[in-house]
Amino acid sequence: MYQYDLIDKEFLADRSAEFRGQVARRLSGELTEDQFKPLRLMNGLYLQLHAYMLRVAIPYGSLNPTQARRLAQIARDYDKGYGHFTTRQNIQFNWIKLKDAPEILDKLAEVDLHAIQTSGNCIRNTTSDPYAGATAEEVDDPRVWCEVIRQWSTLHPEFSFLPRKFKIAITASAKDRTAAKVHDIGLLLRQGRDGQLGFEVIVGGGQGRTPYVGPTIKQFLPTDRLLSYLEAILRVYNRHGRRDNIYKARIKILVAALGAEEFARQVEEEWSKIDAARADLPAPELARIRAAFATTPFKTLPARSETFEAAKASDAAFARFVRNNVRPHKLPGYAIVEISLKAQEQTPGDASADQLDVVADLAERYGFNDLRVTHAQNLVLPHIKLDDLPTVFAALQTANLATPNIDLVSDIIACPGLDYCALANARAIPIAQDIARQFADLDRAEQVGELKIKISGCINACGHHHVAHIGILGVDKKGEEFYQLSLGGSGAEDASIGKILGPALPADKVATAVDQLVGAYLAVRTDGERFLDTYRRVGLEPFKEAVYAQAD
Amino acid sequence: MKAITANRLIDGEVVFWKSGQWVDRFGDAQLFDDHHAADVEAAVATGKSQPTVVVDVYPIDLVQSGGRWAPLSYRERIRALGPTNEPTHGKQVEGGDVVEALRHASGAARSTGRVDLIRRK
Amino acid sequence: MPKLIELVEGQARWAEDAFVFVADEDAIPDTGDVILTLARFEAEGDALLASNSRRVGVRIEPDQEVEVLAYDLPRLAVVALAFPKYRDGRAYSSARLLRERFGYQGQVRAVGDVLREQAGFMVRCGFDAFEPADGATPEAWSKAASRFRHVYQRAVDARPVAFEERAS
Repeated sequence: MYQYDLIDKEFLADRSAEFRGQVARRLSGELTEDQFKPLRLMNGLYLQLHAYMLRVAIPYGSLNPTQARRLAQIARDYDKGYGHFTTRQNIQFNWIKLKDAPEILDKLAEVDLHAIQTSGNCIRNTTSDPYAGATAEEVDDPRVWCEVIRQWSTLHPEFSFLPRKFKIAITASAKDRTAAKVHDIGLLLRQGRDGQLGFEVIVGGGQGRTPYVGPTIKQFLPTDRLLSYLEAILRVYNRHGRRDNIYKARIKILVAALGAEEFARQVEEEWSKIDAARADLPAPELARIRAAFATTPFKTLPARSETFEAAKASDAAFARFVRNNVRPHKLPGYAIVEISLKAQEQTPGDASADQLDVVADLAERYGFNDLRVTHAQNLVLPHIKLDDLPTVFAALQTANLATPNIDLVSDIIACPGLDYCALANARAIPIAQDIARQFADLDRAEQVGELKIKISGCINACGHHHVAHIGILGVDKKGEEFYQLSLGGSGAEDASIGKILGPALPADKVATAVDQLVGAYLAVRTDGERFLDTYRRVGLEPFKEAVYAQAD
Repeated sequence: MKAITANRLIDGEVVFWKSGQWVDRFGDAQLFDDHHAADVEAAVATGKSQPTVVVDVYPIDLVQSGGRWAPLSYRERIRALGPTNEPTHGKQVEGGDVVEALRHASGAARSTGRVDLIRRK
Repeated sequence: MPKLIELVEGQARWAEDAFVFVADEDAIPDTGDVILTLARFEAEGDALLASNSRRVGVRIEPDQEVEVLAYDLPRLAVVALAFPKYRDGRAYSSARLLRERFGYQGQVRAVGDVLREQAGFMVRCGFDAFEPADGATPEAWSKAASRFRHVYQRAVDARPVAFEERAS
């Protein structure tokens, strides 16, 4: 994993000193709220319904145990003992006081954590595959490129006041676990014909009011030209993105207005004028960053672990956990372990301080100090020996972190919603809990199979409802909470935007509707079909009928 | 009937106007009936002139429920109480009559024989 | 007189502003250095410059492209880039293009909603003069512009990038 050197550490120290000064100037009245707001947003500090919310960056979803423990400590000392993981692999604390924020940033900086650019009209956290470095599927380790972009985009003097926020995702496997195609820039790592590495560059994906699967702007960008090409894209956007209407200010609007071809042409033209020698990353620096990610001291193990097999045979709960939460590792004898933060009756994506300590310990003792966050608000231990899996499972069970429901119906993405968020129209958390309760029976959940439900409390779509197999959008209908369902979205490599099912439903009808949809699916599915596949084969009608034919 | 709310700058806490002070409890909030629109305006203006004390000052509509006044919108009820997914967090922890009344006021907002609800600007 | 901060050899200091900004509806003074809007410059700039008796600058709004000045830059003493609202970041690109793409050697001045909190970004993008809107002094401006010991990306200024520091 990338280790911060003295330069990186001094940068964080300078940043938190800067913010300390800015907070002081706000409290004294020297800065107005209007002047202060973007400054605090660029340090991840939102004013929400009950308190300030601090969004701490977890660059490309990667944490070490020291960092996880520090997050637990911050949760205890400055918040209410928990944190919330987001769809951009970051963590949020909901109960922060402005006066504590400078001290919190100092404490974060001590362990190489920060909240730089987790909000504001600037380049945000570059997200990536939580299985990076552990999966055989990848053509290269995407974290290398995420770290390159992280540094390049940090306090970029030209691109810190963009028309709107800017989100980049990088994936390197055929299976996309990053929702790259609905990002402002999605970078798909590819191998060219001659074995050369490059990116397929997608620009103008997005969700919110106007969802788009982004078009490919460049089929193959050699990786050593990444930064100059990004500079060209950002410059075209900074100069020509709309600034008159915040709902039309994302790059997706510019790409749609110009058309992908014209947008690509403008980028190429700008790119041709950029001095590559000055703009692109020098090879030695790339090598330095790359070397940081190649240091895991894996052992050579046999593919089969008797301990693991015995536990599977004798412990049905462990077997179920393995079926749903464990994924193949690139190396024999190892496994990728998903940790569900979607336990029954818990808030989706939340982890208590104690739970953070538990996963920190597990990563340290069994996992090469490597912990990841997924954009589905779960955690991953990417390198666990099969031999150690039963022990890890037992520890997770004790901490209520072993719910065997990854990618199943109760593994729901839910934004904080109206319970916390100043932007929300409706609550998302109780809806997620209702649905999870409806499918508490694990056998049933497994029978249903892969079903990605995602809930957003407002059109800003932080819950990714547009790219859900069943998407749920909270709306305010004359002051009451109603929910609009959509079907057939996907954030994976087969990206698609969901279609609205029908009129919005009141809160107490949503779980039943999901039940009806599942029933309709089970009635007509053929062998091996996931919910999404059946929907794509039979269309909306059978599902619409299942829900609305019975409505009063 | 209206009340006036804001967030305290230093800690983000939800507060309510009461005779020139900012109080933490909705139950202590000053109420302004429809004949006192000018007083509402004046109080909001005063709040906005205190940028180092409070941010985001605005009036909220209230509705009668169970013999007490409650915020009309869910959003303001949640601000007055705390998150519904965690009853041990937020102002609702204090308990007591006012909190209970606010909690049950939620039921009134969902009723089908509903009042014409106004959205906060 | 609006106060002007100039950056000379990396040092910020007060400067007497010899230039007067002439709004489109106003007459151009008979003598003295002037800054004109782009439209006014396109109409009357040649004539003014031909007199060779005064310096001329142009004010560029965020939605105007600096490319249109490409041929005139050698004759312009000042390009003033406007920030109608400090959040409008288009002038950062304009400044950078003036310096890096067109090699502009004259003064690049930040005008409008110019705040010390953005001093660092402005200096890095090649601005060397500022009309602060928040009462900032040169000392405050310098301080604000030098908060960070390291930078991660190349810009107009000559600061070594983090990876260059590492290599040395």
